[in-house]
Amino acid sequence: MTDLVLIIIFLNGLLIFFTSIKFGRYLFFSSGIMHLIMTIALILNSQNIYFNSYLKCTYEGLVILSIISFLFLCIIFYSISYLKEIQLSNERIFTGSMVLFLSAMTLVSLSDNIILIWVAIEATTLSSAPLIFIHKSKKSLEATWKYILICSVGIALALLGSFFVVLSMDIKGINCPLTYTDFSNIANLLDKKLLKAAFIFILVGYGTKMGLAPMHTWLPDAHSEAPGPASALLSGALLNCAFLAIYKTNKILILAGLGNFSNKLLIIFGIISIFIAATFALKQSDYKRLLAYSSIENMGIIAFGTGVGGLAAYGAILHLIHHSLIKSSLFLTSQNYLFAYGSKLIDKVGNGIKLMPKSSILFIAGFFGISGFPPFGIFLSEFLIIMGTLKQGLYSVAIIFIMLLIIVFAGFAKYFIRIIFNNYDGNIKIPENFQRLLPQYILLAVSIILTFFTFDFINSYISNIQIYSEVLHG
Amino acid sequence: MSNLILTLTVLMVLFCLGSSRLLSIIYLIAFQGFLVSVLPFFINDKITISVILFILVTLLIKSFLIPIFLYFVMKRITIKREIEPIIGYNGSVFLGLIIIIISIFIGNKFNFHINHHNTFLFPAGITTLTSGIFLIIARKKAITQVIGYLMMENGIYLLGLILSNHNLNIIEFGILLDLLVGVMLMGIVLHNINKTFDDIDTTLLKSLRDL
Repeated sequence: MTDLVLIIIFLNGLLIFFTSIKFGRYLFFSSGIMHLIMTIALILNSQNIYFNSYLKCTYEGLVILSIISFLFLCIIFYSISYLKEIQLSNERIFTGSMVLFLSAMTLVSLSDNIILIWVAIEATTLSSAPLIFIHKSKKSLEATWKYILICSVGIALALLGSFFVVLSMDIKGINCPLTYTDFSNIANLLDKKLLKAAFIFILVGYGTKMGLAPMHTWLPDAHSEAPGPASALLSGALLNCAFLAIYKTNKILILAGLGNFSNKLLIIFGIISIFIAATFALKQSDYKRLLAYSSIENMGIIAFGTGVGGLAAYGAILHLIHHSLIKSSLFLTSQNYLFAYGSKLIDKVGNGIKLMPKSSILFIAGFFGISGFPPFGIFLSEFLIIMGTLKQGLYSVAIIFIMLLIIVFAGFAKYFIRIIFNNYDGNIKIPENFQRLLPQYILLAVSIILTFFTFDFINSYISNIQIYSEVLHG
Repeated sequence: MSNLILTLTVLMVLFCLGSSRLLSIIYLIAFQGFLVSVLPFFINDKITISVILFILVTLLIKSFLIPIFLYFVMKRITIKREIEPIIGYNGSVFLGLIIIIISIFIGNKFNFHINHHNTFLFPAGITTLTSGIFLIIARKKAITQVIGYLMMENGIYLLGLILSNHNLNIIEFGILLDLLVGVMLMGIVLHNINKTFDDIDTTLLKSLRDL
């Protein structure tokens, strides 16, 4: 019965649009706490689901659900101070859309039905579009238009792909519920040709949402125009949801004996994404766009790792967790900079270490984290992905992968050093405060803790996913 | 009967590709929505109450709510015509014909042996879907792009009809709801684009780019 909480959260989101701003805030905060309680209850007892023909707690789903829940709580804490500072005229749209967005993402992470997951992912697009649109400037209008149109068209292709999966079953005269679990059980009976076509459509469709190049064009615009807390949620939680859909479909393909085909595609798209991010990270004038390109890079790494399989697939899941934690902390910190300097341009920002010492430390720590330096988990995950690639004998691919990572690092280092140490005359507008720093400290600390201490339940979750993929990859 | 409806659907596609008046495209897509939503009546073997209910809701959304909404959005916009499309009208219709031929070719390649399956369903679906994507690419006005998206959804809906009945009606309502909310959001953004830029030309939206 735990999943019924989701309906309450959804209704909360709707209610916010019709109540006073103050009560709306209260609902906003309470939704986050309810969501956390729901997540913990689901982890403790994953069988307790009312709509069990549509929803199911899978290991990968629960990992993503707990990321969403934890991030949302941190972002709520940040938003308390954010909303005080920014004085939105349409605050209800912000808080309401955030809660609706949360419920849509939760539905993605729990849904087992192949069509329902599509409905939920499209719902995430629709509920997050108002967040990008919140300032109603020319640029944010453009970003919103691109976001809605590109993602809707992309996801429509994924629906076609999902229909093809169903068709591959119909053709063989089999009749079973349209769930990922059932498809996995009968995977080797499905029609191979249609299944391949289906995977291409699904990869392109959900890949658009996940930010895989060359379908990524909406991502830098949307992430840079959205307000800080929203971009943290978009980057940290939404991209994972789209990945989940691809991951689950990939599983069916592997079980159907088409693993070679689907994994190759994932590796190719992954490498292209990292390449595009590397080229654009070298020449950037906007620090939020820089972070957005970093998201494209990391999604590429995750797709790559999943495609390689084995040890690298384990690394990819680890990467997903740590990327969410570190990237959302970076996006939240970038909002502090936006408050202080009033500009997203790197040239108009500088001397962060004197003017905003704590934010700058967080920024540098996040930068080291996202680039894969040791105290943070991304070091471990990228190491595992590289080891896995070498283990599979894909030496040339591994070399390209490492080279691209170095280029991305070079681009980032150039701009981060500029932001922190460049000369800047003049004063900052809004200084940093404790409430807008603590969430980032917590996010980074959790990333470090997860690297050094192994928690049995988390480890068993990830290795359950891994065992699955290792068995699959032989 | 189902063949007649499918032929009309494809005809609507060609009309849309050849039309420059924005208002008439809205009428055309409303009629196409009507055709597509009544099609299950003539294809399904068993007409149950849930099928009828589903058809009615589809009809309501695809051929009434969405076009009426777009009509009201259009009323507030001064621009009534698509001037200088990226690919001209005659060229578009010609490309539409080529798309039909290619779709029939692909349809022959995939030989589906499903009981109630109408052989013309697959090519018609592919044609509508591809032409929708083509409209999004080849036209500059934001409202035509929304129409292209709707046409694409109609094509996918046609392809979805190939599947045998899987009792997924509850979830199909979800798809329709997403479509409705999506188009409404697009309409709101479109209205705001018109207010800010005094036009709905998407080529004006170019301030965010790299390189």
